[in-house]
Amino acid sequence: MSVILKTDKLRVEFTSREFRQATKTALVSLDLEVNAGEVFGFLGPNGAGKTTTMNVLLGFLPPTSGAAYLFGIDVRQPIARQRIGYLPEMTYYYKFLTADELLRFYAKIFGLSRADTDKRIPELLKLVELEHAARRPIKSYSKGMQQRVGLAQALINNPDLLVLDEPTSGLDPLGRMKVREIIERLKNEGKTVFFSSHELGEVETVCDRVAIIHQGELKAVGSVEDISAGHANLEQAFLKIVGVQSQPLP
Amino acid sequence: MNKIIAVAGVVIKELYRRKDFYVLFVLTALLTVAAGAVNFFHDEKIVRYVKDICLLLIWVSALVIAIVTTARQIPAEREARTIFPLLAKPVSRAQVIAGKFLGCWLATGVALVVFYFFFAIITGSREQIWPVGMYLQAMWLQWAMLAIVIAMVLLGSIYFAAPSSTSTISFIVVVGILGIGSHLKTIALQQAEPMQFILTVIYFVMPHLEWFDLRDFVVYDQTLVSWMALALATGYAVVWTGFFLFLAWLGFSRKNLTT
Amino acid sequence: MKISPLLVLTALLALAFALATGLASRAEGWSARTKSDNVFGMMFGDGRKLFANHFFTMADVYFHSGYYPSVFDKHAEEQKEIISASHGKKETEEDEKNEDFLGKPKDWIDAFGRHFRITQHTHLESHNEREILPWLRLAADLDPQKIETYTVGAFFLREHLGRTQEAEAFLREGLRNNPDSCEILFELGRLYRDGLHDTTRARNVWELGVRKYLLRSPEQQKEDSMILDELAVNLARLEEDAGNYGQAINWFHLAQKVSPNPGALQKQIDDLQKKLDAGIPVVPQKLF
Repeated sequence: MSVILKTDKLRVEFTSREFRQATKTALVSLDLEVNAGEVFGFLGPNGAGKTTTMNVLLGFLPPTSGAAYLFGIDVRQPIARQRIGYLPEMTYYYKFLTADELLRFYAKIFGLSRADTDKRIPELLKLVELEHAARRPIKSYSKGMQQRVGLAQALINNPDLLVLDEPTSGLDPLGRMKVREIIERLKNEGKTVFFSSHELGEVETVCDRVAIIHQGELKAVGSVEDISAGHANLEQAFLKIVGVQSQPLP
Repeated sequence: MNKIIAVAGVVIKELYRRKDFYVLFVLTALLTVAAGAVNFFHDEKIVRYVKDICLLLIWVSALVIAIVTTARQIPAEREARTIFPLLAKPVSRAQVIAGKFLGCWLATGVALVVFYFFFAIITGSREQIWPVGMYLQAMWLQWAMLAIVIAMVLLGSIYFAAPSSTSTISFIVVVGILGIGSHLKTIALQQAEPMQFILTVIYFVMPHLEWFDLRDFVVYDQTLVSWMALALATGYAVVWTGFFLFLAWLGFSRKNLTT
Repeated sequence: MKISPLLVLTALLALAFALATGLASRAEGWSARTKSDNVFGMMFGDGRKLFANHFFTMADVYFHSGYYPSVFDKHAEEQKEIISASHGKKETEEDEKNEDFLGKPKDWIDAFGRHFRITQHTHLESHNEREILPWLRLAADLDPQKIETYTVGAFFLREHLGRTQEAEAFLREGLRNNPDSCEILFELGRLYRDGLHDTTRARNVWELGVRKYLLRSPEQQKEDSMILDELAVNLARLEEDAGNYGQAINWFHLAQKVSPNPGALQKQIDDLQKKLDAGIPVVPQKLF
């Protein structure tokens, strides 16, 4: 089974300007491997290092040491992102563009031919149920519609790896269902999905494997069943791994 | 190159959807027509003051469009966080910088063509002469100068998070160079040391934007500038633009972006 | 207690109106600006005179087709003049005319930059002088007390553009704004003599100019002595042309008092005296 996403002793330090150049280590020495065709959940409490890992994988942040690879290519090379789709946590799109223009713009960035673009865009708009609003500026969309545009742009290049950052946070139940459907569909197509989430119930439902990170260190990695073994569910296992005991309400 | 053009396309779309250009064009047209409508001593052949006023408005408008549009490009991408979905695609930061530059430059170029067309119509209708060559030279040099300005503003926008700071500083620098650039050596010679040395150094190392201003040639019906000088000035603009874009890329590529 | 927003707004408007009625009469005295009879005066107050000077200079820039020294060039020239004066050199007016304020290029930047600025000293001609008129009109509107604006404008209108009627109207406007100006009366006299060939009106306005001059304080007279010279010499020529040699001699005598070159005037007086001796004897007359 080929490795699609890999981090090798990844370390990220931040130097604070305010506190006399004090250094904070966000990632200690992260070794992670995600295989082709699996749905991989990346879990951790707030401040654990999930976002930092995502930022390194997407080329937003250079690692202090170590390396990260997508499809065997160092993430510092833009070409490493040629076969990925990324859905950010919130909707960050050019609001003066229409959904059609936004998708065409990203298609150009991926180097899609005009014919492929013309074929792909209606398919995606149908998938996210936005055909009727394709030529309206995004600023006129509801929040749910904007999130669906995000999903469409993440799939424009028919990615082999989909990176989702908290994909269901802030979504209404219908939106969550749509995301789950798409993850399932991609899984069936043999694509890889890597996502970070707080929603442990959801992770339990869709993931083949999960990794739990805490204070910048990888605490556990394995299938949902392996990690949940000996616990009532994944949530209990997660709380134990990160060192928090659930307390009954007084 | 396609990626650069794609980024540039978004910049151009943004400009003509924000309507800044339309407001400035209407203002320029109104003021020019109003100035042209004034009757001075019942002489309808007077034209140079109209040319002067119209060209001044064109210069101010083009600078406003170029500086304000460019200054907000990178900060707005960061503030609206649109930079993250963009950089998560197979596009390098150098391509983003080049695309932003190209978009702003082409957008101001389109604006200049519209402005100069209006200028030619207004003056041609009064003078009945059409010095197209001179207009083209004036417009080309102004556009070449705006390339330097846009690259400079792009560099500023990497370091100053607020577009208003970048715009204000850029306006001061550009207007300062246009106003006293060619006189800086003369001013330096009138100063005591160390000011004389400092001003002399600035004179030699700054981009001489004042070379690109052919308004006087247009207003006073002068002969064309030599094509060799025009080519050299264009080369000079290319070098300075490249210098500022390279610095902008260096700054941007070292910027840590965190979601 | 709940207060209606409408009630608050009405109360504030009523208060503003009440204050305005009380302040209106007092405010008139706060600034001369509000009493100004033109829009520029209201907008800029006395600051408009700065703009007027700028526009007057713009007319000069236009006349030289953009070949004009900047403030920095002028400052450098002044420095040079001080140095040459201290070395005992004195440049003639002709030297000044021929002088190239740009000089030789200071360096390659300056040399290359000259491709993009006007480097030829030319003057407007063939009725293109009309191009300076908008700036003079604006200068006059901004500062109606700036006398040169009227005299220069009228000179170009009459002498270069042959538009005597407009020139006279401009000078009349200047005279209304500056009723004691000898300079405007002098230019008006020239317009009557040269433009309308009406020597009687020319004599009248020049004589009025001399009377206005003599009403000035001794200090002011000393400062403006050139205009008396011009008025008196032109009146003398007018009388000479009319055959009134005695009157002409009297005007030349008056001019001699302020002329920088009284010797030249004396020669003309002597010539007139000879003409007079051949006919009617000189009878000293009162000028007015």
